[in-house]
Amino acid sequence: MSNSVFGFKSIRFAVVLTLAGILGACATTPSNDPEARAAYDEANDPFEPANRLVFSVNVMVDQLVLQPTAVTYRDLFPDALKPPVHNFFTNLFMPLSFIHALLQGDLDRAEQAAARFVTAVPTLLLAKTMPEKDPIFEDAGQTMAVWGFDAGPYVMLPLLGPSSVRGTVGTVADFFIDPVGWVLGTEASIGRATGNAVITRSRNLEQVRDLQKNSLDYYAAVRSLYRQQREAQVRNGATEPVQPAPTIGLELDDPGKGPKETASGN
Amino acid sequence: MRYIAAIGLALAFIVSAPTLHADSHTEASAKFIATLAERAINSISDTALSVEERRSKFRELFREGFAVNGIARFVLGRYWRKASDAEKDEYLKLFEDVIVSTWADRFSQYTGQKFEVNGAHPVPSASDQENVALVESRFFVDATTPVRIEWRVASRGDLFKIVDVSVEGISMANTQRDEFNSVIHKAGGEVSALLVELRNRSGS
Repeated sequence: MSNSVFGFKSIRFAVVLTLAGILGACATTPSNDPEARAAYDEANDPFEPANRLVFSVNVMVDQLVLQPTAVTYRDLFPDALKPPVHNFFTNLFMPLSFIHALLQGDLDRAEQAAARFVTAVPTLLLAKTMPEKDPIFEDAGQTMAVWGFDAGPYVMLPLLGPSSVRGTVGTVADFFIDPVGWVLGTEASIGRATGNAVITRSRNLEQVRDLQKNSLDYYAAVRSLYRQQREAQVRNGATEPVQPAPTIGLELDDPGKGPKETASGN
Repeated sequence: MRYIAAIGLALAFIVSAPTLHADSHTEASAKFIATLAERAINSISDTALSVEERRSKFRELFREGFAVNGIARFVLGRYWRKASDAEKDEYLKLFEDVIVSTWADRFSQYTGQKFEVNGAHPVPSASDQENVALVESRFFVDATTPVRIEWRVASRGDLFKIVDVSVEGISMANTQRDEFNSVIHKAGGEVSALLVELRNRSGS
């Protein structure tokens, strides 16, 4: 047990070391062109060259290991047993969500997480399809966001995938915070992460294939999706704030005006 | 008794009419989405269609329902101003072609999943000539898995157009913009690099 804890810690330590190494390989900051400078700031990805490298390794590992495992799970595992298995893995996240909902001062969601944890137990035994309560997912990254910390630059973690500086700190923090880790041991945490990865991947096989096929820059598409998804998670699914699509208006698409005259304006 | 009820109803209508009118664009936007979705499902997902027929039907609905040029300009971001007029014209055409071929093909995989509009609410508009409403809807991937889709609809009088679509909080316009900007940025800020990529895609 203590051995595996040490083993897992060394993985985290390696991650931190890798990050430190990445810092040395920053993207070159464009200096002259203001447009290029603005694009660079907006992407908020100073480690882009290193991130792209890690990403390509992650994609390779996915193709070689995770995707085939997910396909096997989808095709060979009995459909009737998938919902209870999925519930089981989802449920193991509820204690962590409970703690973070409390840390965020959100009693409603803390209660929901607790209720889900409790109601899912009989559901599991009876192998029904859906517990009545929706699961709640909260983690240290989201708690830090609620507390006012910015996400910071984008970080592509080996094996763990897209993250940010804040998300990475959160992942490390959650390793110590998560009750599942204290009660069931590190093996359980790793088992849960692995099981969850396979289940999630088995449910997005088509979407990922579609994205890979249709995106012009797969890395940039994943970066954008990750960020927006995290923001949506921090908002707990509430409608986005006022700002999102700054100004898509109808001035180019009003047949009364005709697109050509304004197309070259602005 | 019946008269009193009728008068009460008429009064209620008169009193509520101004507020009804003020937010009528949200109602109309919700109806606009429901109608457009129904037409799309009926016409585009017909399995008997050839690829070309499906794309041409989709293009028709896309032009009618979406602010294609406004979205295209937003997606190009800061590079819109850098692009030459010739580049802009080609870009607008290619943007539409690529969206049409991608989404028409996605529609071909539609197999009768349930789609429902759940309501709409007004959101601030950047222009005082336009109203903007957010129409909320759900698409059921399977019986127990709803996907939340929000349609941002801008309107001027009778003209209604979708300006963005969000799936589970992820904006399609923002995603496309980040991706296109990355392609151009990687090529040292040359819009022509994006046009090359789009040309390759639009042919497929």
